[in-house]
Amino acid sequence: MARLIRTEKEVEGRFEEVWIVVEEDPLEQWPEGPLAVVGRPAARQDGPLRVRGEARYTADLKLPGMLHAAVLRSPHAHARAQRIDLGPAFELPGVRAAIGPGEAHGLEEEAGFAGAAVAAVAADTFGQARAGVEAIEVEWEELEVVLDPDDAVKRGLLTDPEPRRYERGDIERALAEADVVVEATYRTQTVLHNSLETHQAVCEWQGDVLHVYISTQYIWGIRQAVADTLGLPEDKVRVVCEFMGGGFGSKNSPDEYTYIAAELAKRTGRPVRCALTRREEHTSAGNRNATIQRLRAGARSDGTIVALDGEFTNSVGWSGWNASTEGPMRMLYDCENVRTVTYGAQLNTPPMKAFRAPGFVEGTFGLECLVDEVAARLDVDPLELRRRNYANSNEGTPFSSKNLEDCYRRAEPHWERRHEVRASSDATWKRGVGMASQIWYGGGGPPSYAWVRLGSDGRATVITAMQDIGTGTRTAMAQIAAEELGLPLEHVDVVLGDSARGPYASISAGSSTLPSMGPAVRAAAADAREQVEDIAEQRGLAKGTPVEEIVGVLEESQILGKGARGPNPTGMSVLTFGVHVVEVAVDVETGEIVVERVAAIHDVGRIVNPLGASSQVEGGVIQGIGHTLSEQRLLDPETGRILTTSLDAYRMPTIADVPEIICEFVDRPDEHLTNLGSKGLGEPPIVPIAAAIANAVRDATGADVHELPISREEMLRALEAAKQKEKRGAPAAV
Amino acid sequence: MELLRPSSVAEIDGGVFVHGGTEVVPLLREGLLEAERLVDVRGIVPRGVRDGVIGAGTTLAELEAEPGIPDALREASRLGASPQLRNMGSLGGNLLQETRCWYWRLGYDCRLHGGDRCHAREGEHREHAIFANGFCASAHPSDVAAALVALGALLRTNRREFPVEELYRLPDEGNRSTTTLEDGELLLEVELPQVQASTYLKAMDRKRWAFPQVGVAAARHADGSTRIALAGVAPIPWRIDGIDALDSVTPLPRTEWKVPLARALVHRALSALG
Repeated sequence: MARLIRTEKEVEGRFEEVWIVVEEDPLEQWPEGPLAVVGRPAARQDGPLRVRGEARYTADLKLPGMLHAAVLRSPHAHARAQRIDLGPAFELPGVRAAIGPGEAHGLEEEAGFAGAAVAAVAADTFGQARAGVEAIEVEWEELEVVLDPDDAVKRGLLTDPEPRRYERGDIERALAEADVVVEATYRTQTVLHNSLETHQAVCEWQGDVLHVYISTQYIWGIRQAVADTLGLPEDKVRVVCEFMGGGFGSKNSPDEYTYIAAELAKRTGRPVRCALTRREEHTSAGNRNATIQRLRAGARSDGTIVALDGEFTNSVGWSGWNASTEGPMRMLYDCENVRTVTYGAQLNTPPMKAFRAPGFVEGTFGLECLVDEVAARLDVDPLELRRRNYANSNEGTPFSSKNLEDCYRRAEPHWERRHEVRASSDATWKRGVGMASQIWYGGGGPPSYAWVRLGSDGRATVITAMQDIGTGTRTAMAQIAAEELGLPLEHVDVVLGDSARGPYASISAGSSTLPSMGPAVRAAAADAREQVEDIAEQRGLAKGTPVEEIVGVLEESQILGKGARGPNPTGMSVLTFGVHVVEVAVDVETGEIVVERVAAIHDVGRIVNPLGASSQVEGGVIQGIGHTLSEQRLLDPETGRILTTSLDAYRMPTIADVPEIICEFVDRPDEHLTNLGSKGLGEPPIVPIAAAIANAVRDATGADVHELPISREEMLRALEAAKQKEKRGAPAAV
Repeated sequence: MELLRPSSVAEIDGGVFVHGGTEVVPLLREGLLEAERLVDVRGIVPRGVRDGVIGAGTTLAELEAEPGIPDALREASRLGASPQLRNMGSLGGNLLQETRCWYWRLGYDCRLHGGDRCHAREGEHREHAIFANGFCASAHPSDVAAALVALGALLRTNRREFPVEELYRLPDEGNRSTTTLEDGELLLEVELPQVQASTYLKAMDRKRWAFPQVGVAAARHADGSTRIALAGVAPIPWRIDGIDALDSVTPLPRTEWKVPLARALVHRALSALG
């Protein structure tokens, strides 16, 4: 039965105390290992639709009479629109409506970054809307621009009133008593999500109901936020997202484009699309914020890390939140003395948004590079050092499951290759191997619901108003239902993507979709199975007879099974783990870095679809390679305007940059976590890759790389510094 | 805007020429180029390779698979852009492409746009020039242009014939253009002298689909002389006499890294010529 509990809810590493109605989760977990459907590779059910272009994305939607909106964005990094004249826009052909500051949520007089939305125009075509925007006259009062994060911290320009402080043990004493202390500063750059489908929404009013078609990671969050902001009852907002072209954390909320479309639709009585252009996607759709990490580690000569000290500055931007860049330092190792302080610098730069393990990607780069530098100083094998500092609890709280040691054991053969990899170096190309560990959340949680409809034809439909962010969620949900019902996978369909069709479902963020939704789907399928078994029993068919053989008794009737996600285990930390071993080659004359091989081993509980899981890992590794080597959003240092606004200036990896990627999973259900034992995998594979590459580069060349991206510029600088250091007589690192 | 498709060079009467459209169309869309009249020249510019003469309408995709041209030009074609762009982009269009300087591309009132300052010099310039960057620090992006300069190619237009080097000029106070082409002048053919050996080496931010950080073309000519030309290091394709020229560069603070890179690539290119 349902009960009300007070619990800590985590999304993307941010916690809040909430009351949640939870239902019990009485099902026993399935046995470990591949089952009939779950645990076996399944091709995406919607693959053919996608490759044939039949999958309908928000970007494909053309409603009768639909208008197009364009947005006037601030050219200044900090300015106030003193006067705005929308009039000239109305003079132009095709223009139907124009709105300014205060007329839609997100349109503001004060622009805190170049690209902030100020006004918007709706017209028959996008070109006409753009012309309308260009015709709007604005008198700007330019304000002081702050771009330097250290400067902002010094002046107290922070996103929170106070920096976030954490301390355990006695850090100063531990550092004083340590045999070695390693100190280093690491910097990470701003990178962009660059979803294939840009941020966009189509809004249409039908009577007093607002229909919002939107590319989103959170149908129910959009429904609630839009209703709250517009003062509507939630049932007067319908949200639809059947297919979406990526989000990576940047599509969790409605944002200005949705409110602009809704307001312009209201004023014109027509459906309105507001879609960001690729250029706007680079300026106004969020980013992974830059960080500065000033770190110290103290260790005893036996390899015990006794002190970890970190000062972290997140370049949050004009708004956004202060992600837990310090998280890995607190959680990854068993270290008695830890102190962190994390500043969120408020700058006149575009606001950060969650981006695939926000904070932990950046923090793991710093920490895992630092740990390798400790290993080098102590002359301890980096894998051995990590084992010696293995954490068996999360600051005293037991883990619901942790199989990082199994990941390390599986990493051994990959790690062992380092001798032959190094030996394959020549005068120009130096080769090396590096590793890094991964810790992150990914437990999911309630509330999440699903229904399963079963007919006498032995076909089942899973119905839930969730979204498939593009990870293959549909297929995984179908696998879980098919397994529970004992049906072939192709006899199960999944209907999702519409708040008017199906129950509440969780956000697809924080690696939570599968661990939140999977148990609800399984519970719904079990409910349906039990109902049909009861009916069959009344016809004299024994319990345990396969569903396919008994559904015939239903004839015209249908069964509707209902399922809910049960609670998380109390008093336990639900976390994901893994390790990457990376091989690189560095051309020491030209600074070129080639990632040649990545072995990615992760512990995320039960694997539902090994094919989908390996796709997740490959995608995470590739996105991480871009973060590590080539991607960076650049600003004009004088004005704060963004310079990299196109896909040729902002360099994501191409298929030619992709190395051999080996994916391995521990694949052991978390016995404390729901009826499924699965954790999420969306984020873990991007967490350790940067540090593993940097450690491999250091192994190959002896050069200290402390800054992302490790472009040729950075690589050549580090190689030159290593050369100078050697000249002065000090041995290069490693 | 009107689109004309003339059937002979003689019919040309003003307008902006467009061939593959991979450069002109984005420039039009961004408002960096204005055209009342667009002239599709695909019907009148020669295409294909014959006896050392290359039609300016030959695509980069055709050149990268063409056995009858020097290695430097084939490599420069292969390493440029992406397969989609190489399928559309022509040799002539590639030679005339504009800089990738972000300030220029974003329409800053910079010297190339007729303004009175180079924003890149004091601003963000990691991709910019190490030679001839006092007036404008932009870097010329064409791989193929550097190859043709090293190869000592001749250009034929509807009006004249001249060495490819003379297609380019450094912008100055009085004239902001980086080419010597006159209004209505159309590139038609490229003539290549016989060379003994040639090569093109390119450093990029990623393995494919990026403009050159530094590109180095080198060719050993029939008279035994060696010509070297660089892409991505000056506002125009930059010819150097030898590796020592890299001792007299004028890098900006954040283009210094290009100097050792250029040095390594020039050294390799010369070694490759044997």
